[in-house]
Amino acid sequence: MAKKILAVTACPTGVAHTYMAAESLAKAAKEKQVEIKVETRGAVGVENEFTEKEIAEAHAIIVAADTDVLESRFEGKPVVKVPVAQAIKDPNGLIDRALDMKAADADDYLRQVEKTKANRSASRSGPYKHLMTGVSHMLPLVVAGGLLIAISFIWGIKAFEVEGTLPAALMAIGGGTGAFGLMVPILAGFIAFSIAEKPGLAPGLVGGMMAAHTGAGFLGGILAGFLAGYSALWLKKAIKLPRNLEGLKPILLIPLLATAFTGLMMVYVIGEPVKAIMDGLTDWLKSIGSANAVLLGLLLGAMMAFDMGGPVNKAAYTFAVGLTASQVYGPMAAVMAAGMTPPLGLWLATLIARKKFTQEEKDAGKSAAVLGISFITEGAIPFAASDPFRVIPSIMAGSAVTGALSMLFGATLKAPHGGIFVLAIPNAVTNLGLYALAIAIGTVVTALMISILKKTVN
Amino acid sequence: MNVSELLSEQAILIPLEAADKSEVIGKMVDALAASGCVTDSAAYLAAVTNREKTGSTGIGFGVAIPHGKSAGVGKPGLAFAKLAQPADWDSLDGQPVSAVFMIAVPEAAAGNEHLQILIAISRKLIDEDFRSRLLAVREPAELTQLLQTI
Repeated sequence: MAKKILAVTACPTGVAHTYMAAESLAKAAKEKQVEIKVETRGAVGVENEFTEKEIAEAHAIIVAADTDVLESRFEGKPVVKVPVAQAIKDPNGLIDRALDMKAADADDYLRQVEKTKANRSASRSGPYKHLMTGVSHMLPLVVAGGLLIAISFIWGIKAFEVEGTLPAALMAIGGGTGAFGLMVPILAGFIAFSIAEKPGLAPGLVGGMMAAHTGAGFLGGILAGFLAGYSALWLKKAIKLPRNLEGLKPILLIPLLATAFTGLMMVYVIGEPVKAIMDGLTDWLKSIGSANAVLLGLLLGAMMAFDMGGPVNKAAYTFAVGLTASQVYGPMAAVMAAGMTPPLGLWLATLIARKKFTQEEKDAGKSAAVLGISFITEGAIPFAASDPFRVIPSIMAGSAVTGALSMLFGATLKAPHGGIFVLAIPNAVTNLGLYALAIAIGTVVTALMISILKKTVN
Repeated sequence: MNVSELLSEQAILIPLEAADKSEVIGKMVDALAASGCVTDSAAYLAAVTNREKTGSTGIGFGVAIPHGKSAGVGKPGLAFAKLAQPADWDSLDGQPVSAVFMIAVPEAAAGNEHLQILIAISRKLIDEDFRSRLLAVREPAELTQLLQTI
């Protein structure tokens, strides 16, 4: 494959050097028959802006600039950085240097994945951002609670029922009187906090607590969080007080009114119907037949791989994590397994179909393996970005198979994260052997599909 | 392309008698002030001089393109000078300069259309053909004619 070069030019005034440099580079590249795209950041704004895909595919990037060009975009790519005048003086030399740059190594690959994750969380907005703020604050409670409960089972599955024993203490810390009891309140509280900042926290926590106690579960908690957040935000804007009384607003009026409103809604309006939905959902999931279990696993699995850590992936993930608050652990297992196979499958593909990957990609495959076993689905993104129509269907197929098998084998998982490292903790996963098999099969499915679909590199 | 709005007759200096780089810049700033582009010569001159300090605008091949963005500029404008004696400009290729384009840009972003013209001229300077014709220009009419071809 011919090496593609990207170049970005910028100067303080943005009328002369930015464009002369761009023209020089384009001209020199044309003479050398090198494919190049030049982004200009001048007085008329950004023109020819690179897409994520172009950055992922580029061999190297020339930065000829005397001002900021958002270089963080290029994290993990080889960059030739020079003052803008250099591109006018010696465009040929610059292009040669860019062509000679060594392709990204393994560390660079990890940084590239890290960057994609950071960009994604930064670009989240609106309700999705609020929900994710809530989920991310809830996760440590799920980790601590789930694993402490799992550890209490070392002494026997009912050992915690004997009062005064260590298993009983562990269950008290991890279970409903401790970490798990705080899950839904913290979820709701931080959704509201994300919306309305500090005035949202109290009504959110209270609404979440009521959802937990009335049995409205994580669905009730999510609703409570949004109600609390938006009501607090509305009150913050709507209440107008004389200046000397303004201080009463955040400490007296908003907490009182927003909490009362959220609480009353939970008691009289939302609580009951949501409880009925949650009860129906958990009953269904607990008594689910194998056909439906497989379907649910297929769906959750495909969702995990579809956008590799994007909103669809997070919807499946949030669903599974939320259900752990209702002691339903099967979907959690399916979701984590399905989230591990995309990078793992790509790694395996780089081993079995060596002709279809560049050396660069083969090296990246090793990093993808590490990300896969750690349940970082984003590890598949650099591969998917450069060849989405072949890679995404392949990883979705593998993940769907894994999700379905995990559900079929009745595997459960009490931790929301951790990849293979959590498998080592006793009782965190049930049906460990079959669970590992489910992950292995999905990995192979993805690898085979990619080997077949991908074209040979010339 | 209508360059005449940007480059008035008063701002075309062929030939320009000047002892050195700073005199060239000073005289061109005065010409831009006379043509009405520059409203505060001192402020614009400071912007141009500061720009030169960060790195020479002598792009090589006998051409320099000093420029400045300043509140002292009323509307975007262009000046051109053909130097009677080539002047040293600390150019990228070390060669003295004999053709100078000076660009004035207002602080507040003005109509993009004018900026686009200035940008097109900058881009064109990389074209060898255009440069040799520019260096051969002997009178204002020839220059405007050449610029119309962009």
